[in-house]
Amino acid sequence: MPESDDLARIIAGCKNGNSESFSKVVDRYASRFCGYFYRLTGNRDLSDDLLSELFVKLVEKIGSYKGGSFESWLFRIASNIFHDHLRAKQKRQRIIEQQRQDFESEQAEPIRSEDERIDKLQMQLATLDEDTRELIMLRFYSQLSFKEIAKIRAEPIGTTLSKLHRGVKKLRELME
Amino acid sequence: MNGENMENLNELFGRFLDPEQAEKAVEDVASAEQVLREHQAPEPSAELIADIKATITTTLARRRTNIYKTAAYQVAAVAAVIVILAFVGNRLLMHQQDKFMPPTMLSQQIWESDDIAEDDPDLAYFVSEVDQIKDELWSIKWGENGVNGDDSLADLEIELLEINSDFWKG
Repeated sequence: MPESDDLARIIAGCKNGNSESFSKVVDRYASRFCGYFYRLTGNRDLSDDLLSELFVKLVEKIGSYKGGSFESWLFRIASNIFHDHLRAKQKRQRIIEQQRQDFESEQAEPIRSEDERIDKLQMQLATLDEDTRELIMLRFYSQLSFKEIAKIRAEPIGTTLSKLHRGVKKLRELME
Repeated sequence: MNGENMENLNELFGRFLDPEQAEKAVEDVASAEQVLREHQAPEPSAELIADIKATITTTLARRRTNIYKTAAYQVAAVAAVIVILAFVGNRLLMHQQDKFMPPTMLSQQIWESDDIAEDDPDLAYFVSEVDQIKDELWSIKWGENGVNGDDSLADLEIELLEINSDFWKG
């Protein structure tokens, strides 16, 4: 059976509330989204939380999927989850800053889990701004076309290409 | 990245950059993707996958319960509206019946008439009969017809009884 037919059958099952179908979606995409969230946050626990949140959102929103690229639709949800996380983090940071007026201001630092080894790539990724980092990860893990990525990000394709090129050029230099 | 995407990239960057810069940009992208491939992110643990699947099952069950609850509330609300409408409608109907005489009991001509005794044929007949009797009584009283007054009165009384009986028979 072709992969697209198989996926269409799985999605139809999800729309009918079949938990087995959702399990198949998890098996199929968990690895890619885990990498996506991990490379964005640099924190294993946090990326696990975001991954769980993604699949709960999938259950809640599957009714609104009206066809088209399922991966593109799923990555749009993942991107929104990450941006919601960033907004919540910034809000928390503002509150902490208000409470610690006498302390030195917080610096943007990569989120790290104490019990894990941060690889070189993760360290260099942390030096990129969040938007560029997300764009690179979206391209790598989603394998979507730039047209689709630009659509997800609601920006002109030229802007997407320009940002990505600056980001990967910098990353390449950092990794050399 | 597959060959098709490479072609797309060459074409895409070529729209915004000169050919030399476009080629360099495609190289940069390919190089960065190679770095990402070489540094694989950790895989989700089996426990996490099991936990996610369990959460999905719970969420689905909760959603199903919520859907049934919502449907039950909607049915109850519709039933309540129907009962209220039926009750109000019934009250209004009773009120209307008390207030108005059904139009089928009397014709519109009689209902709107200023002189029912003239417009209703049955009543007109009885009125003419009463007038005739009245005239005969006056004649008897004044002895104009030259007959025995007692017999005539008895005849009239019988005639009146008959009219009265006919009236109530309709």
